[in-house]
Amino acid sequence: MFGKKRVAIVGAGVTLFRRNLKETGKELAYHAAKMALEQAGMELHDIQSVVVGSAPDAFDGVHMKGEYLADGAGAYHKPYMRVFVGGATGVFAPLAGWWHVASGKFDTCLVVCEEKMSSCYPHPQYAFTTIFDPILERPIGMNLIWIFALEMNRYMHKHNIKKEDIALVSVKNKRNALDNPIAQLAANITVEDVLNSEIMAWPVQRLDVSPTSDGAAAVVLVSEDVAKEVTDNPVWIDGVGWCIDSTHWTNRDLYYPDYVEYAARMAYKMAGIKNPPKEIDVAEPYDPFDYKELHHMEGLLLCKKGEAPKLTREGVTQRDGDLPVCPSGGLLGVGNPISAAGLMKVCEIFWQLRGEAGKRQVPGDPRTGVAQAWGDLMQYSSVIVLRR
Amino acid sequence: MSLEKINNPLNARHWIGHMETDYRYTLGVAGERFLKEIKENARIMGAKCPKCSVVFVPPRLYCEKCFTKLEEWVDVGKRGEIYTYTITTIDVDGKKLEKPQIYALIKFEGAHGGLIHRIGETEKVYIGMKVEAVFKPPNERKASINDIAYFKPAER
Repeated sequence: MFGKKRVAIVGAGVTLFRRNLKETGKELAYHAAKMALEQAGMELHDIQSVVVGSAPDAFDGVHMKGEYLADGAGAYHKPYMRVFVGGATGVFAPLAGWWHVASGKFDTCLVVCEEKMSSCYPHPQYAFTTIFDPILERPIGMNLIWIFALEMNRYMHKHNIKKEDIALVSVKNKRNALDNPIAQLAANITVEDVLNSEIMAWPVQRLDVSPTSDGAAAVVLVSEDVAKEVTDNPVWIDGVGWCIDSTHWTNRDLYYPDYVEYAARMAYKMAGIKNPPKEIDVAEPYDPFDYKELHHMEGLLLCKKGEAPKLTREGVTQRDGDLPVCPSGGLLGVGNPISAAGLMKVCEIFWQLRGEAGKRQVPGDPRTGVAQAWGDLMQYSSVIVLRR
Repeated sequence: MSLEKINNPLNARHWIGHMETDYRYTLGVAGERFLKEIKENARIMGAKCPKCSVVFVPPRLYCEKCFTKLEEWVDVGKRGEIYTYTITTIDVDGKKLEKPQIYALIKFEGAHGGLIHRIGETEKVYIGMKVEAVFKPPNERKASINDIAYFKPAER
């Protein structure tokens, strides 16, 4: 066993994901945290420590967002910290929660992720323009969509992948989201719809991209001793991994995310997983763009390099396929309140493994699942392996 | 759940605020030398790590792999190859651009990394295309990455 204590998730909660919600960030955090506590059958006074994950301060527009969110996250008079690793924050936050409990320091930890991107007005794209190198990249006028366009183009070129095959991811995830009550962009669309949608920065088109959103998610982590007291069906955190690539994105090959592989190998080694495609029953890789689901399936070693489009085409990644991928509907269908979207994926795996995913439930009594998030300038990856 | 969806953010009672902060970013030790070489000599330089035998473009003060301080600078030439590109059609507000703009990641032979820049004087673009830097006239250069006006297709 890694750490002093084995750590379980015993409750999860997510708010609606929407472009604009009336609630403040604190209120969103409160709703998610309250739902997670209710599912765990616990009260705030049972919580010994709190971790908040939230992406750039510029979204909510408060230059100390961790402290600002603290009361909504249930941190009043408790040991508290905020973590931030860009888009990878949502899966990194429960890893930080895992340290709290696995170290033996705390028996319980509430992990809350929140993003209110609509505060950034008229559009949070402006916050993204300041993530680039101020000397060499910002003077060129960089924006977020085109660095993904550059990466997507290189990936397509390297493996001779057609846009039609990539579009299938968007079609699948938006359809999966029809069964998710919190979803923002659930829809029945076709490959043609994606290919005919507005070109933003070729090869990226409107329906290749997830939206900006408001929302929050939360999980309750407890030690093995507490888990036995509060639930008959805990879901164990059996593997954790995280890794960052070169800070210079121009130095990466762009067609393969090796930093995702390093993070995945770290988590799989800890979980004793030797053959990921065989041993993992359900996966939630990060899908802010449709090609990223494919990229991340490869980085997570769920298939060979360049093989993810083929698996998608053959239906392997459908909810009733051999390896269901993003049964929640993913960021493309459910929405993308950055850190909350990552934690939503952990919540989804938790519910899938407990058989609580309702209409989204994947068949075959899944026992092992993986969730992954990705962020900063296409360089950070966080991976969590859950088992029941 | 009391969460309420609002289609127009101005429909929720709100207060408009700003986070106005302006910045002066120093070019840094390596950055200043790199951009001075472009301004004064129209040369694109890389920094070589003697231990890793890697030439980094853009050059930097240290090797991120082994932490050796990089002292040796080499001219990597003004010609490179398009590693990947995008054709942008809308701006950050989502408004249609008058004319699509090509941006590319350009890599230089024998060097690790590359530069992101505009591609000009062509509408045709492909991965593997050879391109060369077009420098602004010397009196217009300001030690900025925009002292390179754009990259154009290289003559054979």
